[in-house]
Amino acid sequence: MNRWTITLSILCLVAASVGLSAGPAGWMAPWHAAQRLADGDVIVAGLRAPRVALAALVGASLGLAGAVMQTLLRNDLAEPYVLGLSGGASVGAVLSLLFLPAAPPGLFAAVGAGATALLVRGLSGAPYDRTRLLLAGVTLSSLLTSLTGLLLILAPEARLLRSTSFWLFGGMGTPHWPLLSVPAVLLLVSFAWLVPRSERLDRLTMGDDVATSLGVDVPATQRYVLVWAVVLTASAVAVGGLVGFVGLIAPHAARRLVGAPHRGMLPATVLLGAALVMGADTLARTAFAPRELPVGLVTAGLGGPFFLHLLRRAPT
Amino acid sequence: MSAVAAEQLIAEDAVRAAGLAVGWNGRAVLADLDLTVRWGERVALLGANGSGKTTLLRVLAGLAPPLRGELSWRGTGLPKGGARCRVVGYVLQAEPPVPFTVRQLVALGLGTDGPPSAPQAAQVSRVLADEGLTALADRSCSTLSGGEWQRTVIARALVAEPALLLLDEPTSHLDPARRAVFHERLLKVRNQAVVLATHDLELAALCDRVMILGGGRAMAVGDPAAVLTAEALEPSLGVRVRRLDDPEGGPSLFRIAGLSPGFAARRGG
Repeated sequence: MNRWTITLSILCLVAASVGLSAGPAGWMAPWHAAQRLADGDVIVAGLRAPRVALAALVGASLGLAGAVMQTLLRNDLAEPYVLGLSGGASVGAVLSLLFLPAAPPGLFAAVGAGATALLVRGLSGAPYDRTRLLLAGVTLSSLLTSLTGLLLILAPEARLLRSTSFWLFGGMGTPHWPLLSVPAVLLLVSFAWLVPRSERLDRLTMGDDVATSLGVDVPATQRYVLVWAVVLTASAVAVGGLVGFVGLIAPHAARRLVGAPHRGMLPATVLLGAALVMGADTLARTAFAPRELPVGLVTAGLGGPFFLHLLRRAPT
Repeated sequence: MSAVAAEQLIAEDAVRAAGLAVGWNGRAVLADLDLTVRWGERVALLGANGSGKTTLLRVLAGLAPPLRGELSWRGTGLPKGGARCRVVGYVLQAEPPVPFTVRQLVALGLGTDGPPSAPQAAQVSRVLADEGLTALADRSCSTLSGGEWQRTVIARALVAEPALLLLDEPTSHLDPARRAVFHERLLKVRNQAVVLATHDLELAALCDRVMILGGGRAMAVGDPAAVLTAEALEPSLGVRVRRLDDPEGGPSLFRIAGLSPGFAARRGG
């Protein structure tokens, strides 16, 4: 374990303990929060702890998905939703809220995101072509966004607009513990698959010809990486709605801290993503208490300026 | 490597192509090529822009299948995975720099997963020293000059000690001193076969064999003394070349004496 892994792990612990200590009802000392967590207190253990865990899972999954999507598309501005996944998830969520208002919208959102990914992959043609993949994603995304808008405008109930917009900006709600096991397992499995293949991902960043000449099975690696990126994104969307910018910021910040090689960068991204969303969610719950902000508003508020900075720096 | 294994390796052809046709989208750029390169042999590919040098190198590197013909490396196909790095090393003409350090980038040439083992790390350090990159080892590749970057990618191709090294325009970004160093090192190559594509006639003159490409085929193949002549070069390169031999036996110099009349006419000049 290098010093950055330790530093970022401590950052995660701090973010988690702040998340457990702060709530709309006010602030308590972290050691009190820890005591009440151990005692199984209804607020700290029952409400805040699963929420903090959810935020960590969403941030870690989106960070990891963003990092490998940037490698896959060899594009600094790539993020988990770039292939139209956000559009597909939105349509799925709106349809779910419209026709099955009692059910959580996450499941249909994940199905929508996965279906969109398959469609984009199909539309982009057989030999792997990044430009076509990106263009198909962007085009499909705009089509699906307009479909979401149409559904919202034609919807018979006005309340749909409010619940949808809360979800679209990453409204997390308080999850039940068993619900968290699915994204947790997916995160662990994908991490365990991706990190041992770090050097192949490094070689992939140097272009298909170089990667192939260095022994990487480029089409197979791209296929697996795309599958993991989509699975991670869909699972984060299913439990946390559309939380923007984490998947863009966390990998870039991690590269700045630990360097570009994936073996250090992927764990750093996971830890940073988790810490970022835990922090943003604490702000979202407490800044305008008793009203709660969708966490995506906070991450976008932090991420927007960063994205503009990146655009100014990116070579044209 | 045991002496027996080394002997077997030396007896094998590093790459062998027979009746090869290469090209794009089913259209041949070069056809009817026969090329066998043995251990320790250096072959230069010469030809005008678009004559198919890079296309041929990509096929010899196993990056694109040939349209027709037979192709084998050390008597067989290319192995899968990292073992491939020990059979063929390939250096592209223009590769965009990446934000790894020089040492990290060269270590990726080992073709293995995981951080380098102690012997691998020592091998990386040795190649860095050979290429004069030790002082730059911890610099980010994105801060290197064109020549430094070129030496770094050559070091990445060399680190796994491939039987066949393919170099596309290896001296194009090098200053005169580095070019001289490259020429010297090429003369010392003993333990691999080298095929390089170049416009540098002096570099070609240092090789064991020269293949001149033009008109979709190999226009001339053979010893540099026999092939690097004004008559052989003019139809392929479109220039009149004067060869100046060193009476003291040093490498020949080549002077471009002007466009060939045929080439000038084609350009409408």
